[in-house]
Amino acid sequence: QTNTITGKITDETGKPLPGASILVKSAKTGTISNQDGVYSISAEKNAVLVISSISFDTQEVPVNNRSVIDVSMQASNKTLNEVVVVGYGTQSKRAITGAVASVGFNEFKDRSFSNVTQSLAGKIAGVNISQSQGAPGVSPIIRIRGVSSITAGTNPLFVVDGVPLENFNLNLINPQDIESVDVLKDASSAAIYGSRGASGVILVTTKLGKPGKTTISAGYEYGTQTVARKVPLMNAQQWIGYYIDAHNNAWVDLNPAVNKASDPNSARPSTYRIPEDFITNPQQFGNGTDWQDVMFRVAPSHNAQLSVSGGTEKTQFLFSLAYLDQQAVLDENYYKRLALRSNIKHKVSDKFSLGLNLGATTIFDRTEGTQGKSDVISLAQQSDPIFPVYNENGNLGYRDPNSVWNKYVAYNDLNLWHPYSLTRFYHKQNKSFNTLATAFADYYVTDDLKFRTSISGNLFNTRLNSYRVKNQGYGYSGLLPAEGNVQSSYMLNWLSENTLTYDKQFGDHSLNVLAGYSVQKQRDEFATVTSGSFPNDLVETLNAGVVTSGSSTATEWSMISYLARAQYNYQNKYFLTSTIRRDGSSRFGTDTRWGYFPSVSAGWLISDESFMKNATFINNLKLRASYGMAGNNQIPNYGAISLLGSSNYVSGATLASGLAIGNIANTNLKWERTTQLNIGLDLRMLSDRIGLSAEYYHSVTNDMLLNVPVPDISGFSTQLTNIGKMQNRGVELNLNTKNTTGKFLWTTDFNISFNRNKVLQLGPGNAPITYTDYVVAVKTEVGQPVSNFFGYVVDGVFKNQVAVDAAPHYSTTKPGDPIIRDVNGDGKITVDDRTTLGNNQPDFIAGITNNFSYKGFDFSFMLQGSYGGEIVNQNFRYLGFWNNGRNMYASVDNRWRSEADPGDGKHFRATLGLTGLQDQFHSLWVEDASFTRLKNIRVSYTLPTSLMSKTPFRVARVYVNAENVYLWSSYTNYDPENTTYGASNYSSGSNGLNASGNAPNGAFIGVDYGSYPLPRSVTVGLKLDF
Amino acid sequence: CKESFLNLNPVSNPTADNFKTRDDFELAVNAAYASLYLVYHPEGSVSYANEQMSDNAIVFNISGIQSDKWQFKDYSLATSNTMIYQFWQEYYKAIFNANIVLDKIEGASVDAGYKDGVKAQMMFLRGLYYFDMVQLWGDVPLVTTPLTGEESYGVLRSPQSAVYDQIKKDLIYAADKLPLASAITMPGRASKGAAQALLGKVYLTLGDKTSAATVLKEVYNSNQYSLLAGYADLWGPTVKNTKESVFEIQYLGGNASAPFSRYYQTFYPNNNFLGFYGGGMNQVTDDLYNEFEANDPRRDVSIALGYNNSGTFISQKYPIKWTDTKATQVGGNPLANNNFMVLRYADVLLMLSEANGDATYLNLVRTRAKLPKFGDAAYPTAKYATLDLAIEHERRTELAIEFHRWFDLKRTNRAIPVLTAKGKAITQTKLLWPIPQIVRTQNAAITQNAGY
Repeated sequence: QTNTITGKITDETGKPLPGASILVKSAKTGTISNQDGVYSISAEKNAVLVISSISFDTQEVPVNNRSVIDVSMQASNKTLNEVVVVGYGTQSKRAITGAVASVGFNEFKDRSFSNVTQSLAGKIAGVNISQSQGAPGVSPIIRIRGVSSITAGTNPLFVVDGVPLENFNLNLINPQDIESVDVLKDASSAAIYGSRGASGVILVTTKLGKPGKTTISAGYEYGTQTVARKVPLMNAQQWIGYYIDAHNNAWVDLNPAVNKASDPNSARPSTYRIPEDFITNPQQFGNGTDWQDVMFRVAPSHNAQLSVSGGTEKTQFLFSLAYLDQQAVLDENYYKRLALRSNIKHKVSDKFSLGLNLGATTIFDRTEGTQGKSDVISLAQQSDPIFPVYNENGNLGYRDPNSVWNKYVAYNDLNLWHPYSLTRFYHKQNKSFNTLATAFADYYVTDDLKFRTSISGNLFNTRLNSYRVKNQGYGYSGLLPAEGNVQSSYMLNWLSENTLTYDKQFGDHSLNVLAGYSVQKQRDEFATVTSGSFPNDLVETLNAGVVTSGSSTATEWSMISYLARAQYNYQNKYFLTSTIRRDGSSRFGTDTRWGYFPSVSAGWLISDESFMKNATFINNLKLRASYGMAGNNQIPNYGAISLLGSSNYVSGATLASGLAIGNIANTNLKWERTTQLNIGLDLRMLSDRIGLSAEYYHSVTNDMLLNVPVPDISGFSTQLTNIGKMQNRGVELNLNTKNTTGKFLWTTDFNISFNRNKVLQLGPGNAPITYTDYVVAVKTEVGQPVSNFFGYVVDGVFKNQVAVDAAPHYSTTKPGDPIIRDVNGDGKITVDDRTTLGNNQPDFIAGITNNFSYKGFDFSFMLQGSYGGEIVNQNFRYLGFWNNGRNMYASVDNRWRSEADPGDGKHFRATLGLTGLQDQFHSLWVEDASFTRLKNIRVSYTLPTSLMSKTPFRVARVYVNAENVYLWSSYTNYDPENTTYGASNYSSGSNGLNASGNAPNGAFIGVDYGSYPLPRSVTVGLKLDF
Repeated sequence: CKESFLNLNPVSNPTADNFKTRDDFELAVNAAYASLYLVYHPEGSVSYANEQMSDNAIVFNISGIQSDKWQFKDYSLATSNTMIYQFWQEYYKAIFNANIVLDKIEGASVDAGYKDGVKAQMMFLRGLYYFDMVQLWGDVPLVTTPLTGEESYGVLRSPQSAVYDQIKKDLIYAADKLPLASAITMPGRASKGAAQALLGKVYLTLGDKTSAATVLKEVYNSNQYSLLAGYADLWGPTVKNTKESVFEIQYLGGNASAPFSRYYQTFYPNNNFLGFYGGGMNQVTDDLYNEFEANDPRRDVSIALGYNNSGTFISQKYPIKWTDTKATQVGGNPLANNNFMVLRYADVLLMLSEANGDATYLNLVRTRAKLPKFGDAAYPTAKYATLDLAIEHERRTELAIEFHRWFDLKRTNRAIPVLTAKGKAITQTKLLWPIPQIVRTQNAAITQNAGY
């Protein structure tokens, strides 16, 4: 006998819950609640209804002859039955046996970041997400469970709607379109992605509509960003004081017996001359210009969203459109993004369904200041404060030949890189177009056996136009001719995947088996053209000038993969998962390009055992263990092959083409393989009031893809080899508590993670690997974490000559120079006195989020922190001592001036020719990178339903969101998360090397060479559902 | 998909399985010559050694990591000096580019005459590089075949004598097999005269004046070379491969992707008064300026007194032999066209006087400069009383900033007295560079020079 049963599904506060799934257990029928939470279904009188909804506990309700069944669902963010995306399928949280973290849309919905991973910083244990640069659109550096490679890339693999994309820029996916982000942290979960999983996998799943009434959601956000923390630099008076001291000291040093500080310019060579105004009337310069104030501004942003979603039992869809228009805090910089998405799924028959996810994103941006060193922000800091923003002619600088300031060109140690000369007299725009499409079809061969095939394509094009205006308003350090440049890049990645899934329950036994085959290929192209000799600045396209250089290059990679996974459980209590993937890649040696990546994991739901029956305070207790292997393939596309590079000679007036061998071939090059053991414990107790999750892992990376140094007499400095071993061990804790329940709800999420990284083995003889870039040296040696900062230790400043004579010192040392520690105690200061000064990897990272809700109000705040790591302030090279007349830190005013005025012991005497190793890399460059950040505050108010019923809107919500609210840190520069060197990236033709081309970029993570500040941003938003 | 789906050849680079045909070897030979661009770069090893470490030039402001660059002029070279390490790498890269050709051509099916000619050119280059290296570092690892990474751990420093033996062997072979300059069809390729002139310099350095005189006399008698009429005729962006040129590095200006000449920009003061930044390298000392006799026309051809920056004259002397004011600028770099002579006939003549003690050849050089001959009454005999001193003076002025001075002073054992007299803190151990620290970290069996 079947009855029609109706009812209403509500959440614990009585709000209707749309989209909940109502299934008749052991029948194949089901429905979904509508917008008002109402459902209707036919079922037998003795049937059992299974009601489920994401973020709520699934309930089984016996019908018992009733015809109206209302159900109140219990919210529970992390319930066992929540579905987690695990790669090539989903799994209930109950069945998870590896280390997988899942973050749903609700946790980032009001955050204002353009990249969803930015909103996850501090939220997931074991995942260190740091915002290296604060410019809009810059992706954070993500490290999952430490760093597993020295020279290969360390970015996690991104998988968007099932498409694995190496080094994908998540800014291309509008966060509002994302249903969930799942992070595969351990090697056993990541093994299904085989050769690309060793640095972890981030799975992004976009939204799909729910059957029922069509929902139209509209949202608008307005925000402002500000630089909350400036770098204290000298004002004009302080700087002039330093300038005079430096010249006088150097002049006297030149010949102490004869030269005096009081000697006039006429007695000195040009190098030692001081502008007369500095001596006769320094006051005329006042405090001068604060170039940070000139270049930074309060930057507004607008973000508008519109989405339409809904569908029927057969067809579900989501269409969305979002436009972000964000000014950057840096003058003239901006980031505009238009994102369109269309996700459709249609059930043709009971057996056959198909769908298409299509996302198209266009970004127009101008992003500068992130390259450090000679980029806008860094140069503005170095510019001398004596110069005005505009000279008397309205031009920018003293290079203006008609300006009274022009007299200063006679001094080649005065510096001005006016920010506007780079932002307003150098026109740039970058345009990016991305299309990511996945079409899929599912066919049920039998009830239990599903075949799925999918084709995906990712097409990414960029175009960067730039034009340098002639003479740049006289604001730059030199008068440069007009120059135009156009760069364009193209990337096409396609993927074909075919999988078979067998899913069957045999009594107490449940089995799910997956087998698949996939093929993927990518081609990258890059082209650049430069023109000069522009007649004037009227036309900026290259046709107006004469083309002076141009080039284009292309690279490719391809991959074939076979994969299989078996998941078994007994009584939904004992779980076993095993996976294997076999990958073949074009990047590796012909004989070694195939690799196997197996894993096995098991889980035991102890709380379901009968002996736990009496422990009623425990709701759930699960033990997990896993062991697996994942690989790293992030090396240049042709890393195994010896390439010839153009090395042309000339004969007379003609080019004589030449080809030189660029690297040593290694036909045996193979994957870097990371094996990891993971043990996890999940506990929920006291009616789910307390949830605790703990993980321990131990991973070892073998056959590291190491650009191992070889003696240079071979003609090469390095060879890409599989050599060396590295270990990461760690503990992660996640604690969630419901501190109050009922109308006033207060929950706390806390996570903390510890990782210890250690190099176990390196190349021949375990020779340490040292890389140097602009004085800063990082050293990797066995028994130590990767990339220790390596330099001299400074124990203060020599007060006087007696002190110099009494201590080991470098030959050129004078009073006022640094006291360099004689580390090896041999009585001399030599390069052997360099030692470890720190490491960027933190001892632990932690985050805590508190959520409060009362009636329609929600309030939350989040603190995030990183502790025990160090950061290199590479800008010390420019701002910490004399560097050809650049401006300096205000603290340099506390320098040694004389024996009687020895300063603070941290700042050296002023001089032009730096003596006593002043300019070497030493401990004063290295600072504590620990910080605590009030990362986020959110307040939102949902208007009561009673009020809304009188409007066309169903739901209306207003909110205020503040990011980066306050930073507690002792760091000198903008932010201790800043690093100018990002992770090594070998995608899209990038060679993964630092700007000097002599070391892998990733080796210098934690070195800040003048980075972009992380702005404080406050947004106010309104979201309406129709 | 088939396995072949994974066989992707590089799209934009050729791979290294060539070295079969004559065309392949031509490409590799050109690449070996291209090594000259690094070694004789205006900021290359011999530039630092000969000009910065002598009394010719200093740097005030220079782009890049300044302290490591300043260490040359102060003789305070640290073993961690990044420039020294860079030079070490450049030399061995250059030697690899020669060795790989020598190795591969042995079994290649190309005609014997071509094979000998290529081998001779590669040995000339290898001899040139090792001659620099032995003068800079003393004992150096002697690599004469391509080495694998593992093999290179087994090659330690060879004594100077062994290095010189190899240099002589290479240059004698080269002198034997290379054609005369007039038979060279590709300007810039090494000739018999180039090998002989270099060999003569090697003999002089070894103190074997007899052998030096013999081989240099052969160059003199070959009728392949002559002095140009005026000193100023030697310089300029279009003056290339003249009769005076014995071995010349070829550049091509005007295009950023061609090997353009960098001497112009690098030797200009580190300031921006021509629309580009000068490199500030080898700024000329007053001492060198004053070495020129008052009426020596070569002085003003070689050295500028200063520059005019937006109406203000700034006094700072710098070299101007390689000026190309019409050079196209791209990316802030003037793409100059000037060649660089490693060996020129005036050098050969001066060496010949040094080898056989006959002032005739010296006087040819002085006559071209319209200066009184050594031995004439008008010659400044008071200052340069002996022929040795006259040659020293003449080499310094005739070859100013052409990367000779420091090696000349070392060869004649004059470095310490001459430089000490000028207040420089030079000592015996400073006559050699340190072996870079990083080389010894990689292979602990490599020894260090005394004093470092």
